[in-house]
Order: sequence, then C-alpha cells, then structure tokens
Amino acid sequence: MNLWNRMMCFCRRKSPWLFHMNSGSCNGCDIELVASLSPRYDAEQLGIRLEGSPRHADILCITGPVTKNSVNAIKTVYCQVCGPKAVVAIGSCPATTNVFIDSRTLAGPLNKHIPVDVFVPGCPPRPDAIIQGVAKAAEILAERSAAQSAVPAVQEPECAEAIAAESGEVHS
Amino acid sequence: MNMLIMLWRNFWGGARTLRFPARPKVTGRFRGQVRFDPSLCTGCAVCRFRCTSRAIEYKAGKGEFYWSYDPGQCTFCGRCVEGCKAQALSQESACPPIYTNLGELKKSYTVARKAPAPKAGAPAAKTSAAAPTPAPVPAPGGDE
Amino acid sequence: MNLTTALARLLIFPGLLFAVPAAWFFLWVERKSVAMMQGRIGPPFMQPTLDFVKLLGKSTPSRMGIEGWLMRAWPLIAVSSAAGAVALLPVLPSSGGFEGDLILLLALLELPSVCIIAAGFTSRSIFGEIGSAREAALAVAYNVVFLLAVVSIAAAQHTFRLDALAQMPNTPLRWLGIAAMLVCLPAKLHINPFSLPNAEQEIYSGPMVEYAGPELAMWELSHGLEWVTATGLVAALVAPHVPMVWLAGPVFVALSFAIVLLLSVLAAATARLAIDTSVRFYWQCTLIFAVLAISSALILRMRT
Repeated sequence: MNLWNRMMCFCRRKSPWLFHMNSGSCNGCDIELVASLSPRYDAEQLGIRLEGSPRHADILCITGPVTKNSVNAIKTVYCQVCGPKAVVAIGSCPATTNVFIDSRTLAGPLNKHIPVDVFVPGCPPRPDAIIQGVAKAAEILAERSAAQSAVPAVQEPECAEAIAAESGEVHS
Repeated sequence: MNMLIMLWRNFWGGARTLRFPARPKVTGRFRGQVRFDPSLCTGCAVCRFRCTSRAIEYKAGKGEFYWSYDPGQCTFCGRCVEGCKAQALSQESACPPIYTNLGELKKSYTVARKAPAPKAGAPAAKTSAAAPTPAPVPAPGGDE
Repeated sequence: MNLTTALARLLIFPGLLFAVPAAWFFLWVERKSVAMMQGRIGPPFMQPTLDFVKLLGKSTPSRMGIEGWLMRAWPLIAVSSAAGAVALLPVLPSSGGFEGDLILLLALLELPSVCIIAAGFTSRSIFGEIGSAREAALAVAYNVVFLLAVVSIAAAQHTFRLDALAQMPNTPLRWLGIAAMLVCLPAKLHINPFSLPNAEQEIYSGPMVEYAGPELAMWELSHGLEWVTATGLVAALVAPHVPMVWLAGPVFVALSFAIVLLLSVLAAATARLAIDTSVRFYWQCTLIFAVLAISSALILRMRT
C-alpha cells in the first residue's frame, strides 16, 4: 500500500466527522450523544466534530427504532453521506427495537435498511460508550479504505435511484 | 465580566476531561448487563414474563430448560432481577460493551432441572441441607 | 514591484508556503483555546491538517451541467483570492508594494464572502439560500464599518499604499480605526457572536450544505486563509516599525497570534446573535465610531 493510501487511512481514523440522525427515538440516546461533546467526555480530543450536513460527515450515528415514517429519510440521508462511510447504531433501539418490539409503527431494526458497522448497546448508552463506538467506527473506516486501496468515487448501487429521485425532485 | 472570569479560571484550572480511553467509574447501583447463575435457577420463567423487551427466552424441555439473554435487546430495567425468587439473576455494574455483529452478545444456557425441594408439611422432611433454593419452600397459594 | 518579488510574495512569504500552514495553525489555535477556556482538551495539534487531507479523499456527489461547474468553481475562486490577499500583506519592510494595493487587498478579502453567498444560491437547496441570505445581510452590515475604518486610516495618511500605512506614525485616529476593524473581524471570520451564516444545527451548515470532499477542503482552506489575511492586516497596521527583515516576520506572526487569541476569547465568551441583532449592532452601535474616524480623518486632511 503506497504512501498516499497509508496517509489517507491515518487521516480517516484521526478525523471522524459525525452526522446524527434520530429515527423516532425517545431522545435519551440523543441527549447522551450531545453529552459526549461536553467537557467531561470531550469527543473533540479524538477529532470528532458534529457536522450540520450529511454531506460533510463520514460517520452516520442513528438513534431510535426505525419508524415507518422515517425509513425513507434514513435511506436518503445514508445515500447523501459521501465517500467512505460508516454507520453507528446508538442505543438498543436501532439494533433490535428494544422494548418496542411489537409495535405496528416500526419498520424493523436498522440493519434491514442500511448496513450497520458498530452497535453501541445501552438504554441509553453512556457518553463514554458512545465515544468508544465512534472510535471503533473510525478504525473500521480506516481499515475498509485500506482494503479498497483506491480513492472511492462511486456510491453504492441502491443509492443511484435515490439520488436520481432526489435530483428529479429538485430540478422539477 | 463574569463570563471572562469564568473563562480565565477554566483556562488556568486545567481540563476536566477524561482522556480517551479512560472511562469513569460507575456506582454500585448502576444497572448493566444481567448475569445469570444456572446453579440457582429453578426454571420458573418469571423473568421471561416480567421482561419488558423480550430479551430473555425460555423454552422448557424434558428434564432441562433452555434460557437465553440478549443484551442487545435488553433495556436494563431490572424487572427480571427483582422478580427472581431464587436470586439467580443480578445486574453487573459495568456498561455493556460495543459490538459489531448483531446477536454477538447473546448468551444461552441449557440447564438441567433439579429435583424439587421437599414440600413443607411432611412430618420429617425439613431437610434443608440439600435444598437447592435458599428461599424457603412456600405453601401453595403463598403471599405473592 | 517586479515579477520575481511578486511571485516570491505570492508563493513563499507571506504567500502560500507560509500561509497554508499558518492557516491550519491559526484554526488549531482557535479551536484549542476555545476548548481550554471551556475546560476541556481540544483537538490535537495536527487536527486541521488531518481534516484537510481526509476531505481530499472523499467522493463528491454527482452534479449535472452548469451547476456542477459553478459549484466546483466557487471554492477555487475563494481560495485563490484569499491566497492573493495574503500575498499583499506588508509584512517585510522593503518588499515593495504598488499604488492602490490596499484597495486590491480589500477587494480580494471580500471575494470569499461573495463566493459563499453565490455558492449557497447555486446549491439549489433551501438551507443554502437561507444561509446565503444571512451571509449577505451580515456582509452589508459589517462592510460599512470595516471600509469606513480602513478608508479613514488611509485618508489621514494621504495614501493607499499598504507599506506606507504600515509605517505610519502613532495617532489616536489610527487606534480608533484599528479598533473599528477589530470589531468587524468576528463577522468577517464567522465566529461567535456572528457565526450565523454557517449555523450548524440550525440550517444544516447554510451555504455549505451540498459541498463534500475536496470542494469542502477548499472551503476550509479559504476560511483559514481569511483568518491569516484578516488578522495579518490588523497585525501589519499595529506592528511597530522594525527595520530588520529577520525580525519583522516573527513580530508579524506573534501579533497575528495575539489577535487570534483575542478573537478566540470573544468566541468562547459569547453565543450566536440573530441576524437582526447582528445588523443592528453594526449599524447602530459601531457605525458611530467609524463615522467619527472618517470625519476626523477628513477634518485633519482639510487642516493640513
């Protein structure tokens, strides 16, 4: 693996930018995620930045059992995240829908819709567990790009229709 | 002005951050993963009944039963621990670990059923030395 | 100045070779000092550099037609104009300038803001439009004060040459103008309390919402170069006249560093102001000082 790829793997591990998305959660996990930016836990010491736009982020942090209303939004946002990306499911809800297991309004656990890399269990997980999960996702991102060993340029195939639909709406 | 004083004190007071990967200690009452002791379990399945999120599975078989617990499904409420008469369940005071594959943390046990404790009321049957449960054998229709 | 001097200033000092690492350094200083004032450890030293390199390796979304061309062009224009503005700074005493280079510096310093506004509208996203509208309103507000302050300093000295302004004598008017410029710097650099245009959670990063990968890296770089230029302009005007070449450079860097720290204290101490309060701040509170500065300059000119 040449120097550029090694440098790129190093930088991807050291600079994970997050985008946080709530797919119907009770907000407990969201509060703990934001608490991980507070001075005691300080996610910024690892270079983690909470970004405003999914296009800026590498790691998508999703909370909440995926409600039926939010499935399309989750898929759209997943496709909007560019380049090498990783997904962290925060809390027990995205992993297994937790206590809402029989609910009519849910569309199943998260990995039915998008590939998930790291699960952070807890209800809600502690902020230090969330930071550990994001650090693990950053390592997975670095290893994945080392395995590909090329600058990724294309999105996954199922994102192509999503992009076409989204740009069709915009241009209309 | 107060704000500037606060910033000055913060700046010279040093950071109060935990350096990664140090984690804070949790208290003894922290509700973490559920720990199961097969030697104490009587197979009553109250924990499965009380579980709010179906993290505990129980299947009865001939002379044995199957008990499993999935921390990924668990919501760490502690109802199973409260409901276990045999005190076979307890919660560890540590955060559950992160994992990368679904169902990785699930633990399952196949427990052989023990011989039932002798019933109270039989004249000379107060043999509590070999009784498997520490709780006293209740009369039927007890104080639930 | 001749071609070699111009190229040396553009490429070496205070041009790209100095300005790009200085931009990353100043971005780190701002983040680290804000973090330390909030009682946490901030990012490690190389963090802005690592962010930049990581962004270079990400893919960009596919864009069609003229929109794609424009979206790719705006960050490049912003970076090149910011780099040109850095090159014009009068750091070394005898590096030469030309008549009117102050005006060119102000124009080049303004271009990144114009590019942000245009990029927000080009992205055809409603968040981009809101962010661009806010950036435009803020630019109109602070530019009045900023330009009046700079023009007052220049009018008092009868010159528009930067190196002459850097060596001007100490008058109260000069400090009034520099104070007015310092007040405009937070709005120019989008830090608290005037960080409205790239409000992260409120409008999904505003004009930058559709940017990713290398284009976003260029935007971050132009932001860093704006830091170097804006603080460098104030530092060059504030700096005492140092005849030795080898001392002028470190004095300039030290003064810029001090201004960056001052702005970080302001950023840590305040919260974001809404657009009406920001515009009112510049047009009601600070305009009076800028008007005082320019009228004193004109009165001094008429007397001499």
